[in-house]
Amino acid sequence: MKITVQNKSGELAFDCGERESILHAGLRQGINLPFECATGTCGTCRARVMSGDVDVRWPEAPGGARLKPEKGDILMCQTLARSDCTLRVPSELAVSEKFRPAPRRGVIRGIRRLTRDVAHFDLHLPAPMTFQAGQFVVLEAEGVTGGRAYSMVNYDSDSDRLELVLKRKPDGHFSNWLFDSVKDEAQVDVFGPLGRAIFRPEEARNIVCIAGGSGIAGMMSILECAVRADHFRAHRGSVFFGVRTLADAFYLEKLSRLTAASHGNLEVTVALSDEPAATKTHAEFPDLKLAHGMVHDVAAKAMAAGDRNALTYIAGPPIMVDSAIRALIAGGTAIRDIRYDKFG
Amino acid sequence: MTWKRICGVGDVAENSVRQFDVDGVPIVLVNYGEGFRAIPPICPHMEEPLAESGVVARCIFTCTKHLWAWDLRTLEMQGATEKPLKIYETKLEGGDVLANIEGELTYDFDSEDDMDDDFFK
Repeated sequence: MKITVQNKSGELAFDCGERESILHAGLRQGINLPFECATGTCGTCRARVMSGDVDVRWPEAPGGARLKPEKGDILMCQTLARSDCTLRVPSELAVSEKFRPAPRRGVIRGIRRLTRDVAHFDLHLPAPMTFQAGQFVVLEAEGVTGGRAYSMVNYDSDSDRLELVLKRKPDGHFSNWLFDSVKDEAQVDVFGPLGRAIFRPEEARNIVCIAGGSGIAGMMSILECAVRADHFRAHRGSVFFGVRTLADAFYLEKLSRLTAASHGNLEVTVALSDEPAATKTHAEFPDLKLAHGMVHDVAAKAMAAGDRNALTYIAGPPIMVDSAIRALIAGGTAIRDIRYDKFG
Repeated sequence: MTWKRICGVGDVAENSVRQFDVDGVPIVLVNYGEGFRAIPPICPHMEEPLAESGVVARCIFTCTKHLWAWDLRTLEMQGATEKPLKIYETKLEGGDVLANIEGELTYDFDSEDDMDDDFFK
C-alpha cells in the first residue's frame, strides 16, 4: 500500500506492507515519523487519516486518550493500512539514509532470573543488526497487544545477539508471558533499532546516567561503549541506579568491572528507595556506593554539587523519568543535555 | 482592561510555579526572578498540567513532560517547542500581582486543531 503523508515540510510517500504498522513502515524507510514509546502509551505518533482504509489494532491504547477518532485521528504505531492512504502529521518530516530500523524475526534463548522480578534473556537474530549504545527494539509476540520496548544491554555496534532485560509487571502480559510460559526457541517479531537517547564517545562529554529499575538496561550498553572507547580516561561519568531494596539490584558485578576499568572517573551509586543503606559502599563490590532515597532525588543532590554540563541519560518507569527531568531542569540542566527513554 | 488580583508579591517564591483560581479562571503564576508571567494552567502541547510539570530556572520555563520550553523574558520558543505560550498581561501594584483577565485564555484543542485545514501548514 502507498502511504502519502502531508506534513509541515510538504508531502512524502512510502510503501507499507499488510502486516506492519504505519509507523514501522515509515521508520524503516528512513522517515522521521514522530514517536516516543512506539508501543501505544504516549500519543506522540498521532496522525489524521484524510483518506483510505485503516485497521486500528489497539483502540484502547492509553496514548490515544486525546485523539479525535471522529476526525480520523490514529496512533501510527497501532495502525495498519488496508488501502492506499493519505495521512496528515503535524511535524516536519525528512528522509535519511542512515540508521534505518528494520523488522526481523528473533529467537529467545538463555532466559535467566536475576532477581525475584527481573529476567535477562538473549534474542538471536538471523543477521547482525547495527545499533548505537542506548538504543532499543520493540518486540511483538502473538497474543500480546501493542508491542513492548526493550533497550539493548550489550554493546556491539554490529551484533546478531541482543541482550535484553525485563521486569515483571503485575498485570504485564508480555512480562508474564516471558516469565511463565516462554521456553528457549520462542520466536518474536523484532523491530529496531530505535531511540535517540544514544551515546557516542566522539561527543566528548562527561555523562550522567539516571536509571530506575530495568531502565539500567540501556545504561549498561552506554557504559560498555564508553569503556571500550576508553572514554573515562579524560571524562567523568556518574551512574545512579534506583531499586527498591538491595536484593532487587542486579548487574552489580558488571558495574563493578566497568568502574574498575575507568581510571577512577566512573562513580556508580545504587539508590535504595525502600530500605536504608546499611553501609556506604556495597559489601561485595566496594567500588559501588549505596544511598537511601528515590533515585531522582539522590541524583539531583549529587549533581547540585557537581557538573551541570554533563550529558544526562534518563530511563525507567515514566513517573520516575518525569521526576528526574523535573529535578534536573530545576537544578539548571539545559534541555538539550537531557536524553531519555520513556516506555509506558 | 479588567485587572484582577492574583496574589501578594511574596506568595510565589523566586523560580517557582503556583496555580491560582481568580474568580473561576485558573491561572498559573510563574516567578522567574526578573518578573512574573501569568499563563493558562495547561501546556499547549498535550495539555500537561503546568502546576505539576512546569519548572522555571534561569528565566526559562520548561514543561518537563516533553521538554517544550519558552524564555519568559521574550516568550521565544526553545528547542523542539512548536507553539507559543499564551499570557495574561501582569503588573505589580501595592504589593500585589495583578493580571488583566478579560476572559479565560485557552489553547482550544477542539477548534485550534493542528491537523485541521485552517491550521495545518
